[in-house]
Amino acid sequence: MKALCWQGKTKVGVERVNDPTILNPRDGILRITRTAICGSDLHLYDGYIPSLEPGDVLGHEFMGEVVDTGSEVNRIKKGDRVVIPFTIACGQCYFCKHNLWSACDNTNPNAWMMEKLYGYTGSALFGYTHMMGGYAGGQAQYVRVPFIDVGALKIPDGIEDEKVLFLSDIFPTGYMAAENCDIKPGDVVAIWGCGPVGQFAIRSAFMLGAERVIAIDRVHERLKMARAAGAEILDYGEVDDLVGELKWMTAGRGPDSCMDAVGLEAHGHGVGAAYDYAKQRMKLSFDRPTVLRQVIQACRKGGVVSIPGVYGGFLDKIPFGAAFGKGLTLRMGQTHMHNYMERLLKHVQQGDIDPSFVITHRLSLDEAPEAYRTFRDKQDECIKVVLDPWRASAAA
Amino acid sequence: MTITTNLAEKNGGKAFSRRPATTNVETALTLATGAAIGIYGAVRRDWFGAALAAGGSYLVYCGVTDLQRPYQGRVRSAFTINKTPQEVYDFVRNPENWGRALREPHFEHDGSGQITLRFGSDDDAEFKSHVEITDEKPGEYIAWASEEQMLEHRGVVHFKKAPGDRGTEISVALEYKAPTGPISHALASLAGLNPEQLIREGLRQIKQLMETGEIPTTVGQPIGARGLRGTAKRVLYHERPAAEMQPQRMAGD
Repeated sequence: MKALCWQGKTKVGVERVNDPTILNPRDGILRITRTAICGSDLHLYDGYIPSLEPGDVLGHEFMGEVVDTGSEVNRIKKGDRVVIPFTIACGQCYFCKHNLWSACDNTNPNAWMMEKLYGYTGSALFGYTHMMGGYAGGQAQYVRVPFIDVGALKIPDGIEDEKVLFLSDIFPTGYMAAENCDIKPGDVVAIWGCGPVGQFAIRSAFMLGAERVIAIDRVHERLKMARAAGAEILDYGEVDDLVGELKWMTAGRGPDSCMDAVGLEAHGHGVGAAYDYAKQRMKLSFDRPTVLRQVIQACRKGGVVSIPGVYGGFLDKIPFGAAFGKGLTLRMGQTHMHNYMERLLKHVQQGDIDPSFVITHRLSLDEAPEAYRTFRDKQDECIKVVLDPWRASAAA
Repeated sequence: MTITTNLAEKNGGKAFSRRPATTNVETALTLATGAAIGIYGAVRRDWFGAALAAGGSYLVYCGVTDLQRPYQGRVRSAFTINKTPQEVYDFVRNPENWGRALREPHFEHDGSGQITLRFGSDDDAEFKSHVEITDEKPGEYIAWASEEQMLEHRGVVHFKKAPGDRGTEISVALEYKAPTGPISHALASLAGLNPEQLIREGLRQIKQLMETGEIPTTVGQPIGARGLRGTAKRVLYHERPAAEMQPQRMAGD
C-alpha cells in the first residue's frame, strides 16, 4: 500500500510499504477513506518530538471501512464505517474504567521509554513516535487499529466523511479544551491560536455557554474564520501589550479562562520569542512556550488556564509565581477521546455544527509532502488539509 | 507493606552482602583517579611522587578487583493489576502463563522446577535454572530460591489487595549473584538482559495479558525505509527485519 513516511527533519515522502495485518486478537484493519494532517503532525515534521525514526508512518486523524477483524473483536464488524480516535485505549484498566482514556496503562508497547521521560506511560497514539507506542499511522491506504471494539465510532449511513472525520481528534480536542475552561454564564474566554483546534474550541466555548470569545492569532484567514463563528478577534501582531489589551477589552477583569491552542511551536515576537527560537535551534529545549507565558499572565484571578496545545519537554521561564499568586487552575493533557465522540456525533447529526467548515485543502495522498510544507508555512490560506488516499494525484 | 530484599533468613540461605555492589561509575572513577595520580607521581621523580605513585597503584588495584568481583544485585518492581489477589495469584502460579506473558525471553518449565529461558531464536543463548519454591501462601505470596552456580537468585512475589477498587498490588523482590563483573553486567543491560528490566517488563506483560487478553505490539506492522541509523535501532523497538515480513501486496494498484 501507499503510506506517508517521515524521512528526516522537514522531509516526508509517500512510500510503498507492506499492508497491515492482524497482529493481536483485538485488532481490526481499516481501508482508509479520508485522513487529515494535524497541527501536531507539524511538530513531528519539524523534528521537535523525540523518538521518531525515518520510515515511521504518520497520521492520527482518519476514518474508513473495516475490512478485517481479529478473533476477539465483537462489536465492530467487517463493512462498518468508523472513525478512530487518535489515542489507543484498552477499555479495561483502572484509567479507562474511570474515563481517563488517554492515560490507559496497557496500549503502549514501549511504555518504558515514556516512563523514563515522564515517570509514567500514557496511552499509545497512532503515528506519533516510538515513545508513544510506535504504531503505524493513518496517512496511508490501510491501517491496523488495536482494540478496535473500544475506540471505533460507528457512523450511520447518509452522513458524509468530511462531517465526521474530525471526531478523530481536533473536534473532541477543541471541545475538551473548552469544557476544561469550566465556562459559567457571562464568562469571557480568550483563545490563543486559531488553527483547527482553536476553531473548534471557539465554537465549543459558545456551545458550552460562553458570553464572549476573544480569538488571538496573526494569520488573517484564521482570524476571519474565527470571526465567522462569532468571536472577537485580536491580531497580536498589531498590539504592543497583549495582556494590557485583554484587560482593556474586559474592563480590567481579565478573561475568565485562557486557552493555549498553540503549543510548542509558538511564534510570538519580541525578546522572549527570539530567546525561545535560539534555545530550540541550539537543541537546548524542545519547546517554545511563548503562548503559555502569556495565558498565565493574562488570565484573571482564580481563573482557568486550559492547554490543548502540545508540549514535549522541559519549559523555561514559566511565570509560576503569577499562576500561584492568582490561584489559577491549570488543565491540560491528551484528549480523553472516548468520552466525547458519541456526544459530538449527535451534535453533528442535529446540525448544531458542520465540522467540514475548517477544511481549506482537499488533496491526494501523493500531494501530502507538499501539503505539509504549505500547512507548516501557512501558505495558500491553508488551515486544514484532508487527504483521500485512493484519489489519483492531480499532477499525475 | 515494606518490601524487603533481605530474604536470607526467611528462605534459609546464606545472607548476601548488605553492601550494595559498586556501581560502574564508581569503578571507572577509581581506575581513572588511580591512573592519573600514579602517572603524575611517577613523572615527579621525587619521594612525594613515589608516595603518590604508590597510592595511585593501590586505587588501580582496587578498581581491577572491583571489576573481577561477582556482581550482586537487588531488584524490586511492583504493578497494580485490575483483578482480585486470588486471580492474580492463580495466573502467576501457573507456569504455562509465563510462556504466554513473556515476549522475551522465551520461557519453558518442565513441571519439576527446572526452568529454561531462551533469548532470541538462537539456541546458544539459552539459560537453565533449577528453581525451588521455598514458601508460599495461596493468594498472598510465593517465595523461591535457586542455588545454581551460573546465577544464584532468590526472591518473593507478594499479592495484596489494592486500596479502593484498584485491584491487586503485585510486587517482586529479588536478589541475585552473577559470576561476572560489572562490565559484563553493563553489556547485558544493553542487550536487554538487565534483571531489573526483565522483571519489570515481565510484570507489565502479566498485567496487560490479565487485563486486556493481549500484549500490545507493533512487531510486523508496515514501516517505510529505515535508513542506516533506524535499522540499528530496530532491536530497541523490537522490530522484525523486513526479510521476515510478508511479501508485498500492492493494495494501491
